[in-house]
Amino acid sequence: MRTRKTIRSAGVAIAWELCRRHRWGFAALAAYLLLAGTTDLLILEPGQALRWDGSPDVPPRLAATVVVPVSILAYYFLAAFSFGLSGDVAARQSMYPARMFTLPVTTAALAFWPMLYGTATLATLLMVTTRFVAGPSGVDLPLIWPALFAAATVAWTQALMWMPYGLPGLRVIIAVLWLATIDAAVFTAIVLKVPENVMVAVLAPQIPLAYLAARFAVARARRGDVPDWRGMLARLGQIVDILPRSHARFRSAAHAQAWFEWRQHGRSLPVWVGILVPCELALLFVAGKDMQSLIAYTLAGVLLTPPFMAAFVAASVRRPHPRVSESYGIAPFTATRPLASAALIAAKLRMAIWSTLAAWLLVLIAIPAALTLSDTWPVVIARARQLSDGIGAPRTVVVGLLGVSGLVAWTWRQLVQGLYVGLGGREWLIRSSTCLTLTALIFIEPIVQWIRETSDVRVALWNALPWILGVLACCKTSAAAWIATRLYRSRVLSDRTLVTGATCWVAVVLALFGLFTWVLFTPFFPRYVLGLVAILAVPLARVSAAPLALAWNRHR
Amino acid sequence: MSDSVIRVTELTRRFGATTALASVSLSLPRGAVYGLVGANGAGKTTLIKHMLGLLRAASGSVRVFGLDPVADPVGVLSRIGYLSEDNDIPGWMRVEELIRYSRAFYPAWDDGYAEELRDGFALDPTARIRTLSKGQRARVGLLIALAHRPELLVLDEPSSGLDPIVRRDILGAVMRTIAAEGRTVLFSSHLLDEVEQVADHVTMISHGRIVLSGPLAAIRAANRGAPLSEIFVAHVGTATASDADA
Repeated sequence: MRTRKTIRSAGVAIAWELCRRHRWGFAALAAYLLLAGTTDLLILEPGQALRWDGSPDVPPRLAATVVVPVSILAYYFLAAFSFGLSGDVAARQSMYPARMFTLPVTTAALAFWPMLYGTATLATLLMVTTRFVAGPSGVDLPLIWPALFAAATVAWTQALMWMPYGLPGLRVIIAVLWLATIDAAVFTAIVLKVPENVMVAVLAPQIPLAYLAARFAVARARRGDVPDWRGMLARLGQIVDILPRSHARFRSAAHAQAWFEWRQHGRSLPVWVGILVPCELALLFVAGKDMQSLIAYTLAGVLLTPPFMAAFVAASVRRPHPRVSESYGIAPFTATRPLASAALIAAKLRMAIWSTLAAWLLVLIAIPAALTLSDTWPVVIARARQLSDGIGAPRTVVVGLLGVSGLVAWTWRQLVQGLYVGLGGREWLIRSSTCLTLTALIFIEPIVQWIRETSDVRVALWNALPWILGVLACCKTSAAAWIATRLYRSRVLSDRTLVTGATCWVAVVLALFGLFTWVLFTPFFPRYVLGLVAILAVPLARVSAAPLALAWNRHR
Repeated sequence: MSDSVIRVTELTRRFGATTALASVSLSLPRGAVYGLVGANGAGKTTLIKHMLGLLRAASGSVRVFGLDPVADPVGVLSRIGYLSEDNDIPGWMRVEELIRYSRAFYPAWDDGYAEELRDGFALDPTARIRTLSKGQRARVGLLIALAHRPELLVLDEPSSGLDPIVRRDILGAVMRTIAAEGRTVLFSSHLLDEVEQVADHVTMISHGRIVLSGPLAAIRAANRGAPLSEIFVAHVGTATASDADA
């Protein structure tokens, strides 16, 4: 029988709620701390390092025992203690739960208790990791400042999340800049080997400062004081109002829905790309002609910006309810449109095409303009000539076009490939997908580093590449066949649409295969490998699962 | 062809251990105003969602205009006007944009009537939805639901967003007009006096079961002219009645 104790203080009540809501996270934290402590105290002898295979290489082991679990736990608790898992991060309103504002508790207490629990949890995690895991792994890390740094990070993140902002999305921009600054500060401190007492002196005052900022934020939010700077944008919008507004009828319901999707989601990607790309291209003016590597990195960064940002924008495109962050059902306004589920998805796919093209139009205008103004064209032309001398002019042109087309297609794919996850409305799938993505992001760097540094692994991977590609292609085509069967049986797509879609997919794969075989004429790539790459490159299973997922969620 | 606009047969729906609807059977003939009354959580919205195809009948069947709303959402939804309780029209839209967008979905959209309603409701065409008051948003929702002259108008707790003047004068008048034109109105509410003013037929639902259904006049005659609130108490119970009247 469960005992029910009376909660007598606000601090205990807030602690109880956080523990109850995030019990699985705390269980994972406890398990990790227990494992780390047990390994050090019971298994290892004094002075013995944690070495699995006796080899001195640290990164893979460190990745497994420190980087991966600590990063997952740290990001999770960062979001949990700033109430970021239950609010709308893009909204102007504070993310501090509004239901808590009516509690008979002072504003100072509302800010203090979650901050205390957050800073204590993160600091403990870092101290235990440093003492019981990193130390025995042979990595010499100071004990105090990393813990203090973690505490300051969570405290400032809380202050930023709880602050009301004047514009929608401003919180995201400030949080991204803030986290990037944190990364830069840590790397600089590590590279410069700053003494621990200096770091402590810099970091210790951060926590009370963050507390004051958080208290100010909660006080503003509690009295409903949300600044509204949208008027400035509205004045800009009045310029648009001068232009004639279209009053023409839509040609069809499908066109109306595509317009709706464009207005709802389509402009986000071009806007983000329009903000970021000029900042990135400014580096060309700093680099000049002499720093060729910086020019190359800058251009690569600019070219990767649309697909990178598309991954973030996709999170809102696939949200089933645009206004309710924790709702998994389709918004009634959309669900009651007299349109088939396939037509609703088609509107999203069409919007994604427009959004991708608009974003890339900006990039393809901005790059030549920046190269011309910064006088760095000659560097790019010289690189192109080098490539042309190696593989010939026609192939150089085709490689360039193929590269840009590939990036454009990748951007579109990023926008639409997760539609089936969000629109399906299955909570476990959405949460698992987010968790897997975060884990992959954390794993990817150590794995790439491991492959780069270990020649045996590289050889083994190269030898197994056809098998890996073959298995992936089999999985993809099997999943697509299963989805096609379900689509046919549920009548979500008509027979004609299914046949047309399959035919188009095969045609694109064959065209890509033909291009690959012409461009990559080296014997290192057998033709069947190029065929498998072509099969894997063209979207099929996940995109075709979207109408099925939407139909399920729309008619639960 | 059946003359029933809606025919629900032995519909049962469970959410986990909770039974939201238990063997509900209902038939709504054409051309009248139907009031679906019940306390909060009685199953009114669940029943309406089945009629709109937003929930799939796990057991039993639902037919609207003789069609399955899940199998043929276009065929059913294009003939229904729907105003939901939470009225989630996107806030970024202007009133004129919403009208332009909505008319693309309904072949029977009547521009003149839409303009008449917009004037009658005093809605600024250039206003964004998010700048409107709750009552004005409800008026916009009603405009969109009515302007294509639907064969069936479904209003889920419409009163929750309207002030007393709108509730009494506009909503009542609109429902009467629609019913007079031979079309059907189904509206759910827990405000019994409002239902009594507007509805021709009443269906009372409690804990997922229909406890009473029939023409309002016949129900009152059978209960010696007692007001609907007393009839509701007699059939559903005191606790839920006070909740319903709240």
